[in-house]
Amino acid sequence: MKTLYSILFSLLFLAHDSSPAEEKLRFNRDIRSILSDNCYHCHGPDEETLEADLRLDSFAEATRDLGGYAGIVPGKPDESEIIFRMEDHDDIMPPSKSKKVVSPEDIATLRKWIEQGAEYEPHWAFLPIEKNEAPQTKQSDWPKNPIDSFILAKLEQEGITPSPEAERSVLIRRLYVDLLGLLPTPEEVEAFLKDSTPTAYEKLVDRLLANPHYGERWGRHWLDQARYADSNGYSVDSERQMWPYRDWVIDAHNQDMPFDQFTIEQIAGDLLENPSKNQLIATAFHRNTLINQEGGTDAEQFRVEAAMDRINTTGAVWLGLTLGCAQCHTHKFDPIQHREYFEMYAFFNQGTDKNNKGKTINVIEGEVFKNRHPSLTSNSSPAQDERDLAKPAKAEIMIMEDLKTPRDTFLLTRGDFTRPNKELGPLYPGGLASVAPPLPAKEGRNRLDLAKWLIHPENPLTPRVTMNRIWMRYFGRGLVETEEDFGIQGTLPSHPQLLDWLAAEFIAQKWSMKAMHRLIVTSASYRQSSHHRSDLKDRDARNHMLARQNRIRFDAEIVRDAALSASGLLSETIGGPSVHPPQPDGVYAFTQAGKKWATESGANRYRRAIYTKFFRSAPYPLFTTFDAPDFSSVCTKRAKSNTPLQALNLANDPVFVEFARSLALRLSNEAPSLSARIDCGFQLCYSRPPSERERDTLTQFVSQTLSHYESQPDAAKALSSPELTKAVGAPAQAATLVNLARALLNTDNFITRE
Amino acid sequence: MNLLKDTTRRHLFQQCGVGLGSIALNKILQQDAYAGFTPKIDPANPMDLRLPPQAAKAKNVIFLFMAGAPSQLDLFSDKPKLREFHGKTPPKSLMEGKRFAFLKGNETLLGSERKFGRYGQCGMTISELFPHHQKIVDEVTWLQGMTTDVFNHGPAKLFMNTGFPAPGRPSLGSWATYGLGSASRDLPGFVVLQSGPRGPRAGSTLWNSGFLPTSFQGVPFRGKGDPILYLRSPKGIKREQERNFYNTVSELNQARLDETADPEIMTRINSYEMAYRMQSSAPELMDLSQESARTFENYGCKPGEPSFANNCILARRLVERGTRFVQLYHTNWDSHGGPGENLNSDFEKVCRDVDQASAALILDLKERGLLDDTLVIWGGEFGRTPMGEVRKTVGRDHHIDAFTMWMAGGGIKKGYIHGSTDELGFGVTEGKVHVHDLHATILHLLGFDHEKLTYRFQGRDFRLTDVHGHVVKDILA
Repeated sequence: MKTLYSILFSLLFLAHDSSPAEEKLRFNRDIRSILSDNCYHCHGPDEETLEADLRLDSFAEATRDLGGYAGIVPGKPDESEIIFRMEDHDDIMPPSKSKKVVSPEDIATLRKWIEQGAEYEPHWAFLPIEKNEAPQTKQSDWPKNPIDSFILAKLEQEGITPSPEAERSVLIRRLYVDLLGLLPTPEEVEAFLKDSTPTAYEKLVDRLLANPHYGERWGRHWLDQARYADSNGYSVDSERQMWPYRDWVIDAHNQDMPFDQFTIEQIAGDLLENPSKNQLIATAFHRNTLINQEGGTDAEQFRVEAAMDRINTTGAVWLGLTLGCAQCHTHKFDPIQHREYFEMYAFFNQGTDKNNKGKTINVIEGEVFKNRHPSLTSNSSPAQDERDLAKPAKAEIMIMEDLKTPRDTFLLTRGDFTRPNKELGPLYPGGLASVAPPLPAKEGRNRLDLAKWLIHPENPLTPRVTMNRIWMRYFGRGLVETEEDFGIQGTLPSHPQLLDWLAAEFIAQKWSMKAMHRLIVTSASYRQSSHHRSDLKDRDARNHMLARQNRIRFDAEIVRDAALSASGLLSETIGGPSVHPPQPDGVYAFTQAGKKWATESGANRYRRAIYTKFFRSAPYPLFTTFDAPDFSSVCTKRAKSNTPLQALNLANDPVFVEFARSLALRLSNEAPSLSARIDCGFQLCYSRPPSERERDTLTQFVSQTLSHYESQPDAAKALSSPELTKAVGAPAQAATLVNLARALLNTDNFITRE
Repeated sequence: MNLLKDTTRRHLFQQCGVGLGSIALNKILQQDAYAGFTPKIDPANPMDLRLPPQAAKAKNVIFLFMAGAPSQLDLFSDKPKLREFHGKTPPKSLMEGKRFAFLKGNETLLGSERKFGRYGQCGMTISELFPHHQKIVDEVTWLQGMTTDVFNHGPAKLFMNTGFPAPGRPSLGSWATYGLGSASRDLPGFVVLQSGPRGPRAGSTLWNSGFLPTSFQGVPFRGKGDPILYLRSPKGIKREQERNFYNTVSELNQARLDETADPEIMTRINSYEMAYRMQSSAPELMDLSQESARTFENYGCKPGEPSFANNCILARRLVERGTRFVQLYHTNWDSHGGPGENLNSDFEKVCRDVDQASAALILDLKERGLLDDTLVIWGGEFGRTPMGEVRKTVGRDHHIDAFTMWMAGGGIKKGYIHGSTDELGFGVTEGKVHVHDLHATILHLLGFDHEKLTYRFQGRDFRLTDVHGHVVKDILA
């Protein structure tokens, strides 16, 4: 490793060293991480662990006279105590017990910075949003909107050209998956390919943004953050009925509810004047916390845990900050005091619920939004929800409610609910001092004040964090890679000006999510090909510069939904109680209590994955296998694993075999010859024709498979279904088509947005 | 093939966090200066064998998790004074500031009805309910002074597995496979088996990988038939046709890889190949027909009948085949005194379920030369109270201040008793081992400094032991 570092080190230096002596070091870029990683633990904001009365996290503190000497003496590295101690090998800093060592290169950087005057900067994420103009670029015909100018300007600096636009067939599949989470039909692809008007792409984008499946696709990301599930969690994990909240999220996305209103209704809908029923349902956001139904629990303990979860979730979702760190002590790295944590906590310490048992309201199916069976695309699905809506389902949904007289909030020592610090006296609700606008702690504040603070135009974090996450979904990585940590330990933005431009534009567009989606997906940056480029391997292997798109594996839900699309089984019904597609026996072998799972036989068998009932202690296997979390706590970003269990799931799950049979039937109905069926399958699954190589591979596979089944009539019968055999004519041919369909549903391409 | 080289290169860069410009420069220096140990994971092969930074004493771990918390006072910890004061109110000084799950405050001391004896050279006290444990006393380190922080089952099980009482952190097995990978190419590196009347409380969060990549999540195997879901090819697809199918999928993937040059497709190709191999290796694992009659007799089970004993045999077979971490859950030890959980016949039954096979596993591993490399851990999420809890019968409530676990094998002293409790069994008088200490010691045996094995998540370097834990040096061989 050492060797690699030194090579990279010299490479980077060469690249950067055009004027080494003159380069002005910047605190945020060059210095902060050195101090933060090595020193702040004992010389940072946390007073409890402060050593030697020396803080290095601000200019005033670091340069304060400590009796003839100071941590940092601007302009004079040799007189600065920190340099002396880092180089002093008898009594070295950081101390050896910390197991941290500052490298000579870092010490040299610190020296140079002190020499240059040791200028501090506030952490970038807390600074106001800069209103940037899109930069000028040399190549003027590439940018389609300001996003592209920012991306291109940086590429031009590095002498890199952007990738060409992806093929149109790739673009339409990309848009369908990204905006709806479904695949386009071959007819939709063909119409798009044939549309030669200059605004064909933009028209497609507008059509998809108006499609109600958009709310399911983007609502799902929000539900991850809301830790939405259909059960209580912990050990007993009984069912709960929170689906009206899920429907509210879908509808709010479809209505393009402005993000500020979306925030207010979820955090404090119940505190609005004469709240509508939907505004009450929105507050279920924070009732998605767990309930421990185990015997012998202390309700107070779980009440406190739920309140802490609510503040930690709020911090993660809106502020991109790890507030949880300040639960037990003042944040070691970010300017969040222990006390401030409990002032934020005080907003959530007023609930009437204990162990998350409290206020509920009754909701009737169809009450959140009416039109659940929109006629959507030219491709109307064969399966329609036949359930009798004369007998609508009812749900008793948990919503937020505050006590008439607020509880006293005390700082909990080490975050322990049995150790309230009564000497400090009661704390009142308030915002974080480092985050504008000021919201000092004051008696009588409530969640509505918190919500308004979160979406105040001066608050720089909410729009930055929100835009960064949207960007992450489209490019596979945020402009700030640590999308969950905008604090000091997080990574710096790769394109800080673009991030601020997006944040400012978000507010200028009156917090319209759809406007921002439209901007991003119509950019030339988004439309680039995702093919890897050999010229970038060494220069930008991880594609930080975005000289191409990224290939992104589908989320678990899209894996199912895409297969439903391709096989033609999809039920397009939106909303309502959660459903039970087939799942194997034994899913509950490992849970404390068995669960009811009445497998659906009608159209509900083919509903989108967002409607599959989710038990936290034993999720539907496909979800876990494809990296869906268990929703015990906030999830802002999912992992993307690539495992053998995924292969087994797609290849052998009876649900996917059923999809393969249905796809086989579709191929048989829609195409006459073998070659036409391979083409048709490619169109249905990948929205493109096969290459010659792919066609050859499948032609050979089909011919081998057919001769196999001709000698194995029993196997052929077992794999096919009577309906399919009847349609195709012979069992061997039917089984061969199932094999073809199964292969098409099992490639990397099928579960990847290219 | 050039692609593989490129793949490696890409992954190398990815792990180093190298972007461009001086940001990257800082990052490199930062990582260089940072003295922690962050394993380099190749996303294409996350279970590749990795060497720990220190010499390891154990390669594999088998954790026999006694879900529900066994009563140490009726199995390992003989308290004559408790019998003497049976029926009396416990001393006030011992009860002050204590919180219990179910006790109301008027309960009285409960002496054990079980007969105890001293066994082996170490003179460990074992009750009559564990006759087979009497045979392994001198193979084992007895931890008589265990303590934990939380007294409800779900949170306490999470604490014992992840060092944190709420869901969301990686479990021990995830940390172990994250650090070391696994020697098995054909089976998962972290396997969970379960027996008893019901699943353990808190379910899959107990073997969840938390913020670690999901490749390190425990894979629950069922004790009978197909151990994992979807292992079997669909009806009507025979093995030869399946090979044909896998070849075809692989060729289609290869074609796309050549077109897009995305190394992730190489991983997909590898995943499908391993899936195909698992279709034979997993049934081979489950096929106990080659095990001898003597083995079944020693473990006390019928071949293939789901039981804790059967799972113990599977655990040994998994370790033989290279699986890094095997965890067995057995319910139900929750002896409150209610129906199905009394301290009499119900307790005797669960003791019978577990006693013989636990001891047989140790002796079997020893006989096969596997014990030196395999760390075996036995215990529940907490202990049980010295006071009786009155339900339908008298049982015991949850107790977090003193309970017993044992460890054996790789790097652990043989025949050693560590720690003791006061005369009534309320608290630890010496040799206290907190859950964090247990975790620190397990990582030490696997070759890691528990303070250095970290993963950066949400801006913080997380450890299994958070900011706590000390290696229990006294129990190291």
